[in-house]
Amino acid sequence: MDYAIETISLTKIFSDWWGRAKVYAVDDLNLQVQQNEVFGLLGPNGSGKTTTIKMLLGLLHPTKGHALLLGGQGTDPKINARIGFLPEESYLYRFLNARETLDFYGRLFGLAPDVRKMRIEALLEMVGLMAVARRPVGTYSKGMARRIGLAQALINDPDLLILDEPTTGLDPIGTRQIKDLIIKLAERGKTILLCSHLLADVEDVCNRIAILYGGRVQAEGHVADLLQQANKRQIVTGAISDQAISKVQKILRDEGAECEVTAPMERLETFFINTVVEAQQQARPTSGAVSTTDIGDFLTAEKSQEGILDKLVSTSEVESKPVTAPETEKVEPAEVKKPEPDRDLLGELTKSAERPDTEPVAPAESAAADLTKSDRYKPADSEQVKKDVLDALAGSSADQPGQDADEQEPPKDGDPGDA
Amino acid sequence: MHKIWAVAKNTVRQALRMKIAIIFIILLLVLLPLMGLTASGDGTLQGRLQTFLSYGLSLTSLLLCLLTVIVSTYTVTSDIEQRQIYTVATKPIRRHEFILGKLLGVIVLDVALLTLFAGIVYTVTVTMPKFVKASDGERRHLDNEFYTARASLVPPQIDVHEEVLALYEKQKDQLDKLYASLSYEQIIKELTIRKRLEKRAAAVGQGLLWEFENVKPLGEGQSLFIRFKYDVSENPTDGQVYGRWQIGDLRQLRYGTEIKTEIWEEDRKDPIRAYREIEVQAPVVAEDGYLAVGYINVPLNRTVVLFPLEDGLEILYKADTFTANFIRAALLILCRLIFLAVLGMLAGSFLSFPVAILFCLVIFFTGTVSGFILESFDELGRGLSQVYGYTIKLLVQLLPRFDKYNPTNFLVPARLMTWSFLGRVALSMVCVKALLLLLLALLVFSFRELARIIV
Repeated sequence: MDYAIETISLTKIFSDWWGRAKVYAVDDLNLQVQQNEVFGLLGPNGSGKTTTIKMLLGLLHPTKGHALLLGGQGTDPKINARIGFLPEESYLYRFLNARETLDFYGRLFGLAPDVRKMRIEALLEMVGLMAVARRPVGTYSKGMARRIGLAQALINDPDLLILDEPTTGLDPIGTRQIKDLIIKLAERGKTILLCSHLLADVEDVCNRIAILYGGRVQAEGHVADLLQQANKRQIVTGAISDQAISKVQKILRDEGAECEVTAPMERLETFFINTVVEAQQQARPTSGAVSTTDIGDFLTAEKSQEGILDKLVSTSEVESKPVTAPETEKVEPAEVKKPEPDRDLLGELTKSAERPDTEPVAPAESAAADLTKSDRYKPADSEQVKKDVLDALAGSSADQPGQDADEQEPPKDGDPGDA
Repeated sequence: MHKIWAVAKNTVRQALRMKIAIIFIILLLVLLPLMGLTASGDGTLQGRLQTFLSYGLSLTSLLLCLLTVIVSTYTVTSDIEQRQIYTVATKPIRRHEFILGKLLGVIVLDVALLTLFAGIVYTVTVTMPKFVKASDGERRHLDNEFYTARASLVPPQIDVHEEVLALYEKQKDQLDKLYASLSYEQIIKELTIRKRLEKRAAAVGQGLLWEFENVKPLGEGQSLFIRFKYDVSENPTDGQVYGRWQIGDLRQLRYGTEIKTEIWEEDRKDPIRAYREIEVQAPVVAEDGYLAVGYINVPLNRTVVLFPLEDGLEILYKADTFTANFIRAALLILCRLIFLAVLGMLAGSFLSFPVAILFCLVIFFTGTVSGFILESFDELGRGLSQVYGYTIKLLVQLLPRFDKYNPTNFLVPARLMTWSFLGRVALSMVCVKALLLLLLALLVFSFRELARIIV
């Protein structure tokens, strides 16, 4: 099978004026990213992540070795047509407004006018820039520029999405949204190469990661394999009584195991999102980007439906929300419009916080989470304060049973790093 | 093609919205009408018009050339330096399509602005007489000598080679002594000039006859002009020379047949070393396009009269309208702009903005004095013949010749710029030189690394 991304002893040496080798930016790199994989490329600054991406896309010529994208060269227009790329900063034409920017990139893909128009509207809606779409991009804040940069990477509904530091400059909602998007796209069979040094983001969405240092791969493998602590177990329960806890502790002591009891903290990310969603409900005006959790319909639609969908939407009025595709995925955009969006949102968020490939209540999963137990569990006095939020959190998933198979697992509350 | 057009549209937007073009547009919009009001020339209406036309068109050309250089280099280098190229080059567009799109955008901008400003210059030039007092004679003069496109016929070069060789053989010793420092070729050259001048000189009482074929004036009732300049061997006291001119089908006189076409005769007295024109208000050209011009050095003069080799005598006749000539002049400017746009693409494809713009400006300004540069290189290159011939000379030949193909040289004296002339300029400047540069630009841009080196 063809790999989505393959590098064969890829090397990039930057030499000085005399041709003497100065820096090995990438050194004999062999990467294989499978189709339909979310692959995280990690590493400190200057470890060769961006250089690798630039060589993949043909912006830099490798000193040695080959880089293949979807089985072809990164400079081949046929390959480019199936790729979305978000560079480390959104390099945009400052004099264009958001709509013109997307229109320009749409034209480069040779998209038909009606398809182009439909996608532009859907993407602007998705990245929450509809209200400022007429302002020149040069006046955007960094986060807003990031959003429009993301939109341009998605306008061709790419099979392979290369994201270089996608969440820099984004607010937590935008970050969350990008992560949701990545998961959604992966569910649709897309491949994503995520390049970041924000570990929490990578951990949330990636199947497999490689850690680069000095242009070489230092570690590579499945996130679960790399992070799993096989010698520990974690049990998460509802709000049980103190007697029950002592009983459990007693049983565990009999087993000869140490045990620690705390109330799990809500993730700061979740809390932040709730707060903002509440404020939005009260219709506070903002001059910035509008936070939405929508994901462009054409991106979540199944491939086979796409052509028909595009036509359907393009013939209907663009102002109205694009026609819902006959897929279950379509529940999300509608959800936000419900009277109780915070709950739905939470459900959505907690659901998407999981890796799509994990089994419900897998021991490995809980053990992996246990790794950072001490970070997540705070002293018991915070238990009372957070109790109602916790209830809500637990309730939300209970409210929508079977929305998705993954939903069975209790919300995995509290990944490290974000808080 | 759609992709090229998308890039082109974006380039035009960039030029307009980044306010580069706006500055030039405002400058021209202010300066052109101002010139129309202030141009005075030698005080006559014609002088005023010629001054305005000359300065207006030169200014338009100069500013548009600068604008083209700036926009074309900026649009390529800024995309690379500000890295929009990362997102564009990774889309399904080939690199050459990107450059072609940029080029198309600059040319579209040029065509639009050239149309606008040439339109303004044209409108002001054509309407100015309506607001200025002028006598009917002056207006007639204008119609004949300014608002027209006159073709020019110069007498064919007489072959004097045999005569020169014979002369040299006869006076070999004497000449070698006289021109001791010159080589054989140079002596022959000197003698040729002397001999040719002899053929254009008339001693007192003698006459000169020039014969022309294929004279085709535009339409009936149009005047024909003989433009001439006298030179003399001895200066007359009042600086004037008498002459009897006969213009028409002089074969009729020679063979004594009956007169079919009119023969225009005129006795005149004209200052020496100044251009004068005889207006022939009669159909004097024979049916087969034959025309002869005769000059007789009347005995009132006490000097040999001669007509300088380069510009001693020519026949001018209206061959096209002012408007058509003006359009061709604008197209000539467009050739320049296209050349510069391509040059900008080339410079932008491998240089950074300040260097690229410097490079283009140097080429542009050397292009405006290309005659001088070519001559001096020829002079310098004589000693280095072989090496020079194959290296520097080829490069120097690539220089655009803006000074030689200057549109005001045609419009101000109302000379006809023929389509074939324009075609030749377009062929050499656009189809050969610019195309070579473009191919080079595409090659460089296609194979260079677009990303900046960051470790």
